[in-house]
Order: sequence, then C-alpha cells, then structure tokens
Amino acid sequence: MTDMTSSELYIADPKMTAQNVNVFYGEKQAIKNVSIDVSTDLVTAFIGPSGCGKSTFLRTLNRMNDTVAGARVEGKIMLEGEDIYAPSMDVVQLRARVGMVFQKPNPFPKSIYDNVAYGPRIHGLAPSKADMDVVVEKALTRAGLWDEVKDRLGESGTALSGGQQQRLCIARAIAVDPEVILMDEPCSALDPIATAKIEELIHDLRGKFAIVIVTHNMQQAARVSQRTAFFHLGTLVEYGKTTDIFTNPKQERTKDYITGRYG
Amino acid sequence: MTNPTSPTDWKGQVMQKRIAGRYAAERRFKLFGLIAVLLSGAFLAFLLITMVGNGARGFTYTHVSVPIDFKAMPLNIDKDRLDDADADQVIANSGLSDLVTFAAEEALGPDAAKLISENAWKEVRTAIKDDPELLNGRHVFELPASSAVDIAAKNGTKSDVSALAAQLKQDGKLSTGIHWPFFRNADATDPAVAGIWGALKGSILTILIAFAIAFPTGVLAALYLEEFAPKNRLTDWIEVSINNLAAVPSIIFGLLALAVFINWFGFCQASALVGGMTLALMTMPVIVIAARNAIKAVPPSIRDAALGIGASPVQVVFHHVLPLALPGILTGTIIGMARALGETAPLLLIGMRAFIGDVPSGLCSPSTVLPMQIFLWSDEVDRGFVEKTSAAIIVLLFVLLSMNAIAIYLRNKFEKRW
Amino acid sequence: MTFNAAALLLLVAGLALIGWLAGRARSVLLAHRAGNKLHSRPQYHGWYVALWLFAPAILFLTIWSAVSPALVTNTVLDSPAAQNLPQFGFERAAILADARAVAQGKQDIVRLEKSAPLVRPYVQATRQYALIGISAMFALALAGGLYAFTRIRPEFRARSRVEKIVMVALILASLVAILTTFGIVLSLLFESIRFFKLVSPSELLFGTQWNPQSGAPVKDTFGGIPLFWGTVLIGAIIAMIVAIPIGMMTAVYLTQYAKPVVRKWVKPLLEILAGVPTVVYGYFAALTVAPMLREFAVMIGISNASTESALAAGIVMGVMIIPFVSSMADDSINAVPQSMRDGSLALGATPNETIRQVLIPAALPGVMGGILLAVSRAIGETMIVVMAAGLSANLTANPFSSVTTVTAQIVKLLTGDQEFDSAKTLAAFALGLVLFTVTLLLNIVALRIVKKYREAYD
Repeated sequence: MTDMTSSELYIADPKMTAQNVNVFYGEKQAIKNVSIDVSTDLVTAFIGPSGCGKSTFLRTLNRMNDTVAGARVEGKIMLEGEDIYAPSMDVVQLRARVGMVFQKPNPFPKSIYDNVAYGPRIHGLAPSKADMDVVVEKALTRAGLWDEVKDRLGESGTALSGGQQQRLCIARAIAVDPEVILMDEPCSALDPIATAKIEELIHDLRGKFAIVIVTHNMQQAARVSQRTAFFHLGTLVEYGKTTDIFTNPKQERTKDYITGRYG
Repeated sequence: MTNPTSPTDWKGQVMQKRIAGRYAAERRFKLFGLIAVLLSGAFLAFLLITMVGNGARGFTYTHVSVPIDFKAMPLNIDKDRLDDADADQVIANSGLSDLVTFAAEEALGPDAAKLISENAWKEVRTAIKDDPELLNGRHVFELPASSAVDIAAKNGTKSDVSALAAQLKQDGKLSTGIHWPFFRNADATDPAVAGIWGALKGSILTILIAFAIAFPTGVLAALYLEEFAPKNRLTDWIEVSINNLAAVPSIIFGLLALAVFINWFGFCQASALVGGMTLALMTMPVIVIAARNAIKAVPPSIRDAALGIGASPVQVVFHHVLPLALPGILTGTIIGMARALGETAPLLLIGMRAFIGDVPSGLCSPSTVLPMQIFLWSDEVDRGFVEKTSAAIIVLLFVLLSMNAIAIYLRNKFEKRW
Repeated sequence: MTFNAAALLLLVAGLALIGWLAGRARSVLLAHRAGNKLHSRPQYHGWYVALWLFAPAILFLTIWSAVSPALVTNTVLDSPAAQNLPQFGFERAAILADARAVAQGKQDIVRLEKSAPLVRPYVQATRQYALIGISAMFALALAGGLYAFTRIRPEFRARSRVEKIVMVALILASLVAILTTFGIVLSLLFESIRFFKLVSPSELLFGTQWNPQSGAPVKDTFGGIPLFWGTVLIGAIIAMIVAIPIGMMTAVYLTQYAKPVVRKWVKPLLEILAGVPTVVYGYFAALTVAPMLREFAVMIGISNASTESALAAGIVMGVMIIPFVSSMADDSINAVPQSMRDGSLALGATPNETIRQVLIPAALPGVMGGILLAVSRAIGETMIVVMAAGLSANLTANPFSSVTTVTAQIVKLLTGDQEFDSAKTLAAFALGLVLFTVTLLLNIVALRIVKKYREAYD
C-alpha cells in the first residue's frame, strides 16, 4: 500500500522507479497510486488476478500505453533518474532501452536473421554487415536459440515452434541491448517444456538486464523472481522479497490469493 | 560508429542526429499520407465544382419577348377541334409556324430566325391549347431563344449573334429563368426543347424492372446458400459463379443481353424491359453477397431459440432470420441499385444508344436512361448541350447520392451488434 | 407482348387470393366437422391452394408470352395477304413491324403502303393466340387450384408441402447465378467460334493491324495487339500509377494516423468517388482533363498531342479506382495482427518504420490481391475510354496520343448499323471472350492470394 516505500526493500541502485503512478482509461482509473522500484540484479514478478492492472502497469514502464487512445498516466516513472513521461524524453529511445516481450509470440513475417536485426537496423547500432552478424549471433546465443537456428537463419521466423518463436522475440528485444526487459506473461501461450526453457533463460539473463515479468502463474513467480509485487483492483497490495510474499505475506488479501481463495 | 558489443551511447551526438533524421522521415511520411487524402478530396471537389458550375446554367434558359397579334393576322383554326386528340395537328396545319416567324421578324428585325428557337412556335401552340381566347387578340409571348442567343446571353461569349443578343438585352426583350421544358420533355435536337424527363422515366422503369427481378432472386439465393445449402459440388459452383459474376466487367453483361435477350428471344430492343433484365443480372450477385453478410450477422442463438420451440427450419428463416437481416439486405440492395442506375456500357450494346424523341410509354417501348442521355449529349456539337449535359449529370448525381445517403442512414439506424 | 401481361398477372393473383381464402376456410371447416385437430395451421392449407393456382399459370404465361409473337407472325406469313411481301431484307421486316404496330394500336395509321393488307391478318392472329393463351392459362390455374383444394384433409401435411415448394423456389433462385455464368460463357464462345471461322484466332491475338471493315473480312484488319496494348497502357499502367500510391497512402494515413473523427468523415467522402457513375468520369475526362493535358503537352513541346489521350483516360480511371485500392489496403493492413505493430513499436521503431517495414510487408499478399482486382476492374471499364481515349488503334507508348481499348472497340463494333452476323459484330464477341477470360483469371488468382493471406492470420 501507500505506506510501503522502496527503502524497506533495500534496493540500493534502482534501475527504474515508479512514484505514485495513476493510470486512467478515459474516466476509468486502472492503476491507483502505485510506487515500486526495479533493480538490475533482480527479477521482479507482478502477480495478481486477471484484470488487476499488472499488465497495464507494465505497459506504462515503456510507454506502450501511448498507443491506446484515451490512456492517461499521472505520477513519476524514472529510468536512471530521468522521467520517462517528461517532454524531453524520446519515446523511440525509451523503448529501445526498455524492451518488451509479449504474451503471444509475435515474430515478424521475416527471416529469423531479419527479425533479430530489425531493432539494431532501425536504431543504426550495427553499421556494417559483419557487425550485424555479430549482434545477431550474440542476441540469439543469449536467448539460447543460436544452436537451434544457426543453419537456417534465412527461414521465416513464423515457421519456428511456439517456444522458439518466443525465444526469438526475446532475442529480438536483447539485440538492441536494452537496460530493462518487460515480459508480459511470456509463457501463457506455451507448453510446459517450452515454459521451462524460457524460465531457464530468464535465470541466465538476470544481472545483465533488469527483468520485470508479469505472470498469472504463482509457481512461476516463485521460481524465477527475487521480488514479487501483488496487484489487486489496480492497487499494489504488497511488494517484497518473493520468499516473504509466498511464505509469510503481510496482507490478508495476499494470503487469500496465494492460498487460492480467489483468482 | 561504436563497437556493437559495448553499451549504446543514446545521448551521443551521432545517435541524436540519427534520431532527428528518423523523426523527419516520420513527418515526411505522414505528410505524404495527408497529401494523398487531400489529392483524392481535391479531385472530388474539382469534379463536383466543375459539374455544378457548368450545370447550374443548364437548368435555365433565355426567352425573347415577341408580341403576336392574332386579330391582325387571323389563323384558320376551328376552335371546336382544340379539345380533340389531334389538336396539335390542327394547329400545326394552320400556318402558326410561319406566323410566329413573321411576328418575330416584325419585332426583332430581319435576323429574327437566328434569334428564336426553331421550335418556338410549339410553345405558342401549347399556350393556344390552354387558352383558345388568345386567338382573339394581341399577346406578348416569351419565346425560347435560339441556342446561340441563349449561350451569348448567359455566358457573354462572343459569337455571330452576340451583338444582336446584347442589343436585345439592352432593350429588355430578353429574360432568363428556370427552364421547365428541361424537366418535362424528352430528348430533342434543339437544346431549347431538349429535356431529361424521357431519360429519367426510362431510368425509373429500367430500375424498377431490375429491382423486381434481382431483389427476390438475390434474397432467395442468399437464404438458400446461407441457411439450407448442403456442402456439395453444386453449392461450390453456385458460390464460385456468384463471386465471379460480381467482378465481371459490366460490358460483358451487355454482350450476354444482346446475344440472348435480343437475338435469341427477340425481346423488344432498346426497351426498359431488356435494360432492366440486363442490369438485374449484373446487380443480383451484389445483392446476394450483401444479403449473405447480413444473414451471417444474425446470431445462431436466435435460430436455436426458434427451433427449440418447435418451428420448422423454413419458418425460422422466414419468421426470424429474414426480418432481422432485412435492413442489411436493403442497404446492400440500394447500393447495388444505385450502381445499376449509373451504368451505361451494357445498355449501349442493347440499342439504348438511339435518339429517342418521345417519353417512353411502356416497358417495351424504346427508351433511354439518364446516364445514356448524358453520353449522347456529350457528343452533340451544339454548344447549348454542354450545359444540358452537366445539368443532367447534376440530376443523376443527386439521385445517386440520395440513394447512397439513404443506404448509409439505414445502416446506421438498424446496425445491430449482437 | 400481345396481351396485357400486368392485368393478367393481377387477375391470377386475385384468383390465388380467393384460393388462399377457400383453402383456409375448407381446412377449418373439415377439421371442425371431423372433430380432430389440423396437422398444419389453416393458412398453410391456404398457401398450398394459392401456390398450386398461381405457379403453373404464371409459368405458362411466361413461356407463352415468349413464343406467341413468333406464332402470330408465322400465321400472318401463311395468310394469303402475305404472299406479296418481298422475300428478304430490311423492307420485309419494316413492313411486318409497321403492320404489327398498327394492329397493336401503337400507331394510328400504316406508314408503308404494303403493310396495309397485313394489318387485318395481324389483328386476327393476335386475337386468336391471345384467346388460346388466356383460356389455357385460366384452365391451368383452375385445374391446379381444384387439385389442391380437393386434397385438403385435417391430417394433410400442408406445411411440409408448402415448405417443399419454397425450397424449390430457393434452389431455383440460386441457380440463376450459374445460368448467368453459363449464358455468358456459351454466348461468347458460340459467337466467337463463328468469328474464328472467318478470322484465325492467332490473327486476333497476335496481329498488329486493327482496321475492321464492313463486308467480308480482309486479311490483317483484325489484329488485336493495338487494343490489348491500349487496354494495358490505360488500365494497368497509367491508372495504377495514379491509384496505387494515392490509394495506399490514403489507407495508411486513415488507418494509422488520422483521428477517429477524421476517419469517420473522410472515408464516406472518398466512397463518393467510387459511387460517381463512369459516364460522368468519362465526360469529365473528355471535357476538362483532356484539354488541360493537351495544353500541358503542347507547353512542354509535344506538338502532336491529341485531345483524346491515353493519359486523360488513365488518370481519371485511376482516380475512380482510388477508393477501391484504398479499401482493399485498409482491409489488408487491419488484418495484420495488432501484436505485430506492438512488437515493432516496443523495439523503438517509429510509426512509419513500423508501417513500411512490418505492416506493409505483412499485408503485401492482401494488397497484391487487391491490386489485381483493381486492374481487372480497370481493364473492363468502358465509358471513360469510349469518351476520352479515342477510337484509333495506335500502337504507341506515348501517353499523350490517342489509343483505343478492347471495351471501346466492342462498343464501336456493336453500335454501328450492320448485320448481326457480319465479321465486325462477331469480332466484338471474340474481344468480349478475351476480356472475360483475362478478368476471370485475374479475379481467381487475386481471390486465391487474398484467401491464403487471410488464412495465414486466422
């Protein structure tokens, strides 16, 4: 709740800070007064029943809500001390620094290579073909996909399996070398084996990028994250160490949710 | 620039410049889009303004005041016969034409023949038929001017009569007003008496025939395909036929009508009947497609509900599905009919290109349609027809746009989301 | 038609109404008397009688009105008065038509001397056949009605009978589409084969001289290449150069940039462009655009520019196609899942990068299908080219010169005064066959592409 500040959680050097954020869709308030810190070294999970605002809040972190007509954001969200909703902030750059992976894998109908190269190309990150090859290989390797696709980079990204497509989308996000990666229920469309691979990947990426993951699967949150935020009806009910949230929740509502009273 | 493996310097000058370039490209692209929209809009505006600018004058005509003294020059007319069917013939044989020419020369000088329409005497004839008492005295008639005088008076263009016309205007003998014969008459070679009523009536008859054939056939076919048709080879053929017919060039339907309706069945050539049948074949696929979409939009729950209380499938369709789909079907039908109403090419081939000087009296009598009248007038050499053509276009566009507006109104009023 | 069809139709409809009332009343009466319930509601019994009364009679009336004029004419020709008629040609037909007009009361007096003796036989024959037809029709109506009337019983399944008849009507209505298609294919093929007996198909398809003459076909006068080229130049090149960029950019602007209010108003306004009749476009092209282009051409030094130019027709046709291209592009871009757009924007792409590098490539198959349909529509367009492109078959790439198209030539060949069987009129059907085949192929290919594309995103 509002009395909970980040100081209690000992995040020394937060990558992103949200202070008293409110989000409105027209007249309707979707997010009420949320404050939270995100660290580079930790994976942060947002959990909560569907419609609780966790995805909405995630989308405010790289201003994807701008594309929704009638959406309005109040409060402050800072990336490395810069207000991302300030007029001086360039949304194109912001999104390059805060990447996003979506619920359903959405590779472009282009080759695997071009999918990964798309971001670096538009931002001009790899001036030569050789540089680009390096960027693509590095991103695919980091996403754990390189060995599976290195012989067929020219094939269409849509021809891959669901799990591979989602890792391709992660590689695509990594390729622009972001500081934060936002993942919006990245495994909800995948089978258990593909899910395990993605979770493993998140584990490997921890420390290199600040990762925020929205999930409706509590076991997943427990497995992959170090910090967990529980959202309910647009408010942040409880935010703390994942172990604390799952073993010793402070709030009654969190407890009810964790134990499956509602959801 | 930077080594691809090192962190990106987003604040660097090179990157800032690049981003500025990308935003410039964004603005340019958006501008192109806006220009494209404006170009289409400008063309539409240009077209409409040209037509209205030219056509507005087509609704008016110039008249010349000519006094005729029937007492001084009596006509040999038996007044008892003026109510007969052949009254026109009786008056025409009395030498009225020469009398009018003579009176005009008296009033306007030796060039009078050039100044008034050669059909001017027919206006006098109509006046006499309405009021035979005119024959007993002197009366000032407003006779239609010749086409050349009309143009000179309305537009001030130079021609061999423009000086004379200017003189008449100064003398107050010219008057310009709404030209009712334009709405009353059929085609004629003289712009002074040519009108669109013949073509308009032809269009109405043609469209009524097309509607009477295409609407029931199209709706029944759509009901069958959507609600009853089994999935088999025949149904596939029907679907393929309908989709292809909707995209076949209209002139091909003209060839079909010429070969089948006229040369094979020997139906009346150039008539509203054959024209309507041709347009019906052309419009039917459009109606079927629109009707199928409207029927598809009726939710299955309504069918289930009706079936559940013991209605037969045919009862379900005619009592529940059809009434709910009707607004959508009507919208599609009106749009299809509007397209048929503006169609010219297939009708050219079934003989509707001929000059038709009479208002069509029936479905089988030779007639023309409004778009065809526009086409025929556009070929006329006489300057007077340019304005008539544009005026006819205004009438046609007015009818078509009203039909489309009705369709849009219907769609907005009855559009339901289930 | 030799008798007043509308009056007869009303009369039969009136009889059907009486039949409906009688059938309904009888079913109620019988059920009441027998004391058991009706299987079908009374009005179905009414409908059953009415349909049996109406349908056979109207079917007969339709057939009779198609054949009776020929029967009347035959009877007249067999009469002694017809023996003096000229054997062939225009005069014979004119005399017959004149006599018929007088006999039917459309004309007060004969215009031709020779037709006077034929009027009487015409009147008699017309009366005779009308009498036969009308009495046969009423007999059929009464027989049908009586048959149905006697079958009414309380347990009679009138509803299923009526519904069966309704189903037959539905199937017949659906078959009209197939009949029309067959009619088109057969009539085009039939006349084209007659043409190809006079002129070889290879000459029509590959010959370079188009100059059809009346009378027997002369060699090297039916070469279609100049027409095909003119059609392609106007419909597939000039019109598309105008329509594709403007239509695409309009769609992109309206779907991606414009505010909903703007979109709501601009879209119907653009659709007006599609609703303007082609004859208006033709007039506009010939009267306004062509002279402007000619002046422009003369200004830039093309002295032989024609007032009828490929460019004028092509540009105006392109404008006509804009709404079509734009709505196809609109549909295709909207069919690309929103997640693609989000994916690109989330990587930091600007909207125009997203549109050009993700949305349009993804929508390309749909857009291509739409463009093929637009080309098919453009090459089948008639009035604009008839009025603005001219009729001279020039094989030239100069857009300022006059060219002609397949459709313009079909119109020209069929609107002169000539015998129906001459090579010139038959050539129109052969050109029609070529046009039909090409547009059909374009449509099939386009619909395939669009369908496949839709499936890819479903």
